[in-house]
Amino acid sequence: MNDRVKRWLEDGTVDLFLGYKMIMGHPLPHCFVKEKIEEVNDLIIGPARYSLEKIATHIAAVKPDIKIGLLARDCNQRALNVLYIWNQLNPENVRTVNVNCCPSNLKEHGDCSYLEHEAAGSFKRQVGIDNNLQPENIEGYGQSQRLSRWMYEFQKCIKCYGCRNICPVCFCQECSLEHRELVGTGALPPEIPIFHLVRAVHMAGRCIDCGLCEDACPVDIPLRLLYQKVNEIVSDVFDYKTGTGDSQSPFNILGDTVTLEPKPIQLAKTAN
Amino acid sequence: MQCKLVPSICSYCGTGCGLLFEVIDGKINSTLPMKTHPVNEGKLCIKGWNLHEHINSFMRLKHPLVKTFGRFIKTDWDEALQVTADRFKEIVAKHGPDSVGMLVSAKITNEENYLAQKFARAVIGTNNVDHCARL
Repeated sequence: MNDRVKRWLEDGTVDLFLGYKMIMGHPLPHCFVKEKIEEVNDLIIGPARYSLEKIATHIAAVKPDIKIGLLARDCNQRALNVLYIWNQLNPENVRTVNVNCCPSNLKEHGDCSYLEHEAAGSFKRQVGIDNNLQPENIEGYGQSQRLSRWMYEFQKCIKCYGCRNICPVCFCQECSLEHRELVGTGALPPEIPIFHLVRAVHMAGRCIDCGLCEDACPVDIPLRLLYQKVNEIVSDVFDYKTGTGDSQSPFNILGDTVTLEPKPIQLAKTAN
Repeated sequence: MQCKLVPSICSYCGTGCGLLFEVIDGKINSTLPMKTHPVNEGKLCIKGWNLHEHINSFMRLKHPLVKTFGRFIKTDWDEALQVTADRFKEIVAKHGPDSVGMLVSAKITNEENYLAQKFARAVIGTNNVDHCARL
């Protein structure tokens, strides 16, 4: 890995490379450049995940033609796909070194294990939602209980905007969450559930299920679970798998016409 | 093109969350929580998340100002400190040392807090020392 990055920097395949390096005992993202090529010896995969692709978009915003290399786990790869589709990065200017992801049943060794959430306490299990559950488990609760459990989770929100700030696919110049006509500003907790639902709706067809939002949430709201559910709907209804295809999601309202098109099986259902 | 990620500690309150500043071409572009920091474990509050905004704010005070005839005049540190020292001396001589109070802060280091209270007690001669975290 290190030799390849060195070669890339030397022959100009990339102008800079985003990877990780131990700095003061912490595995931190680091930008490797040709001028300090000896640093590449310290390039590590790093156990902590940062959104390197988001840093890359910030660099590309300042200098659009720069060639960026970066370490990519599976989630980074999906995020990059979304950023290419939405024209935030040019795929011709990005090179990746693919690295190991989270361990799973299929893959025993993983360099990343950040998605394993710590077990919920007894109160949270009773009145809230355990972050380790799957969308189908939540549906087992019944409608009124589901609402009260989600409301318990949402009312903890301290409105730090961390979920939006850390999100690799949140790049809008103007954010609905700061729009006073849509969401009340100032008060704490924020207007619930609308604050979280506005974000959830925007994550439909956009969220790549990296779990960084949940990592960054100071009050452990099961955000990943919520976005998994909205994406499940996008996948069921529109047959759109976020982060894998090369087309924009069906929720693209830019342009003169709305081109939402359900997947064939849904069309057949409505015809009957 | 220069891109650096600089580890730092949040200066907003006394908690001391670890964070990373994303510096692009010498300008702090955004703030990220440090994932492996034992204090915040990858989380931040809204103030921490927006540190780069007040570093880059045009309202930020970058030079010492001395109020002369009701207006703030830009000056250098030597003069600002001299004016402050002279005024303190005047006030202490006229009204006694207990007319002065020292407010210290959770945002500065332990050592700076120590120095500040030492200055209040040994130099000015008052026990009027208080702190924003004395709830």
